[in-house]
Amino acid sequence: MNLLSISINHRTAPVEIRESMHLSSEEIKQFVRDLKGSFFNEGVIISTCNRTEIYGIPVNNDVSFSDIRNFLIQRKPNEKISAENFQNFISRDSMRQLFRVITGIDSMLIGDNQIFKQVKDSFTLAEEMQFVGFLMRRVFDSAIKTGKRAITETAISEGAVTVSYAAVQLIEKVFSNLNKKSALVIGAGETGEIAAKNLIDKNIGRLNVTNRTLERAERLASELNARAIPFERFKDHLHEFDIIISATSSEDLLLSKKEIEAAMKKRNYASMVLMDIAIPRDIDPATKKIDYVFYHDIDSLNIIVEQNLAKRRSEIPKVEAIIESELDSFFNWYNSLQVAPTIKSLRDYFENIRAEEIEKNLNRFSSEDREKIEIITKKIMNKILHQPTVELKKTAESGISPEESASRIGIIRSLFGIDSSEKNNPE
Amino acid sequence: MNQTIDIINILIPFLYIITFGIYSYDFTSGGKRFENSKRIFLFITLFVHIIYLILRTIEFDHPPITNVFEIFTVLAFSISFSYFVLELLTDIRGTGPFIIILSIMFQILSSIFIEDLLEVREVLRSNLLGSHVFSALLGYSGITISAVYGFLYLTLYKEIKLNKFGLIFNRLPSLEVLERLSFYSAVIGFVLLTIAIIIGIIWLPRAFPNFSYLDPKLIGTFLVWILYGIGIISKITGRWRGKKLIILAIIGFLLAIFSTMVTNFLSRSFHSFY
Repeated sequence: MNLLSISINHRTAPVEIRESMHLSSEEIKQFVRDLKGSFFNEGVIISTCNRTEIYGIPVNNDVSFSDIRNFLIQRKPNEKISAENFQNFISRDSMRQLFRVITGIDSMLIGDNQIFKQVKDSFTLAEEMQFVGFLMRRVFDSAIKTGKRAITETAISEGAVTVSYAAVQLIEKVFSNLNKKSALVIGAGETGEIAAKNLIDKNIGRLNVTNRTLERAERLASELNARAIPFERFKDHLHEFDIIISATSSEDLLLSKKEIEAAMKKRNYASMVLMDIAIPRDIDPATKKIDYVFYHDIDSLNIIVEQNLAKRRSEIPKVEAIIESELDSFFNWYNSLQVAPTIKSLRDYFENIRAEEIEKNLNRFSSEDREKIEIITKKIMNKILHQPTVELKKTAESGISPEESASRIGIIRSLFGIDSSEKNNPE
Repeated sequence: MNQTIDIINILIPFLYIITFGIYSYDFTSGGKRFENSKRIFLFITLFVHIIYLILRTIEFDHPPITNVFEIFTVLAFSISFSYFVLELLTDIRGTGPFIIILSIMFQILSSIFIEDLLEVREVLRSNLLGSHVFSALLGYSGITISAVYGFLYLTLYKEIKLNKFGLIFNRLPSLEVLERLSFYSAVIGFVLLTIAIIIGIIWLPRAFPNFSYLDPKLIGTFLVWILYGIGIISKITGRWRGKKLIILAIIGFLLAIFSTMVTNFLSRSFHSFY
C-alpha cells in the first residue's frame, strides 16, 4: 500500500523546531486545500505540541518524501530545520508509526492518553475537509481500534505520571470520597492552578485558594467556583482543611510543625494530607511525624511518577504485539482487496492475447472450424490460468502472512506487466 | 455417603487454596483478568462447603459444632462467607487473599483432624446450643475480618507515611475505606457475639447446673465484649478514630483467640470440648 508519511517529533527535533512546525486547525485546513489533488488523493495531518505528522495516499508514484517535506518547510520556514529532523515512512511502516502514535508509546510521556483524542480530532478535521477516502477511513478505523485495545488490554495509560496527578493518587489512598472533603491550595501560580483543577476533576467538596496577591487568588477562585481566602488569614482556618496543597515561590517555610499540630488538635486528629509541591518547600517536613498527617513533597511524589513510568515502559512490548496483530489484519484485508482485481487483470491479459491471435489468424480456418478454434483456445487458456487463479485466491485466506500474500500478488502483477498495461490503458 | 463426605473433606482445602491463588494472582498482577471469575470460584468453594456441612449434619445426626475441629470447618466457612457478602455489598475486590488464607488455615486443621462422630454428649444436643454456636462463629468471623482490615489499615498507613509505594499502596483501597470495613465488621461481630452471649447465659444454667461465674470462658468473653463495646461507643461519639480504634479491634481479636485457646486447651472450663 502506498501510504506515505513524514514526522517531525520529540525524538527528531528540539522543542523550538517542533513549536515552529506546529499547525493550528486553520493552518491544517489551508494545508489540506493545497495538498489535495497536487500531492495526495487523501490524507490526514496530525499536529500537537510534540509532533507534526502528515499521512497521505500520493496522487502518483512521482510524489516523494522530499516533496512533502519541502511543502511543509516552505509554508513554515525555519532556518534551523533540516531533512534530519524528519522521519519518513511508507506503507506498513507508515501505518505502524500511526499506530505507535495513537497508542501513546511514541509519546514523550509514555502512554499519554491525550494523544488518542488528538489523533481522532485530526481525522475528523480531515473528514470535514473531504480529504478522507475509502482507504484512509479504513486506516484510521484500524488505528482507533488499536488505540482502544492498547488502553483496555494493557496498563500503558495507568498510574499517575505527572507530579500533580501523583498528588491526587496519593490523596485518594487516604480519602475514599473527595466530595465530602475540603481542600486549600496555597499559591495561585501555574502549579497551584493545575493542582486545583485536578481536585475539581475529582469532585472535591469545597475548594479554597489563597495567594499573596489576593486578586490572583480571587481570579482563580472565580474561574473554578472556589473560595478565595486572604493570605494573612488562611492560617486561622487550617483545621478546616482535609487537604492542603502548597505551591508558592516563597523562600521561607509557610507552615510550621507547631501550626499543623495545633490545627490537628482542633480537628480531633481527623486525617490531613499535606502536599508540598513547591521548591523550596513551603511546609516543615517535620509535620510528617504528627499522627494522621500525611506529608509529601516533590521527591516523594516523584517516586510514584517514576514507578508508574517504569510500569508503563514495561507494557510497551504488549502494545507492540497488539500493533503488529492489527497491522496483520489490516493488510490481510488490503491484500484481499487486491486479489479479485489481479485475477481479473490476469485473465483479461490472456484473453486479449488469445483474441488478438485468433483475430489475426481467423482467415486460415474454414468457417466451420472457427467456432471449434474459439472453444479450444479458451479451454487452453482456462487450463493454464487454473493453477495461478487458485493460488491467488488462497492468498486472500487466513494462514498466509500479509507480506507473503502481498509479495505473491506483486510478483504476478510484475511478471505479466499488469500494472504497466493498466497504466497504458486507463479505463 | 461416608465416602462422599471424606472426599469432599479432602477437596475443600484445595478449593480454598485455588480460590486463594486466583485472588492472590489478581492482587499481585493488578490485572483485571480474573475480576469476575475469582468471585465465581469463591462462590463454588462456598457452595461445596455448605453441601459438606449439610451432608455431615444429616449423616452424623448433629450439626458440626460439637468439637474444635467441627467448629473449625464452620469457622472457615463463615469467614469466607462473610467476606463474600462484604465483597458483594461494597464491590471492593482486592482484599480477598488476606481473608481467605484464614479459611485455609482453619479448614486444613479441620480436614486433617476431624472425625466421623456419631456419639455426641447429650448436653450438646440442643437447639439453643446450635443458635449459640452459629451466632458466636459468625460473630468471631466478623471480628476476624475486622482485625484483618485493621491490620491492612496499619500497613497502608505506615507505607504512606514512609513513602513506600509498593504493592500494598497500589492495590489496597483507601485508608478511609479500610477503616470503615474494619469498623462495620466489628459492629456486626459485636452484635452477633452479644446474641451468642445472651443465648449462652439462658442455656448455661440448664446444661451445667454447677457452673461458676468465674469460669475463664465467661471472664474472657466478657472482656472481649466490653472491649468492642468501648471501641464502638468511642467511634460513634467521635472520641476515637483511625489507628487507635484499629489497634483496639486487633487486641480484641487476639484476646478472643487467646481466651478460646485457654478455655479449650489449658484450663478446666465447662466450655472445653476438645
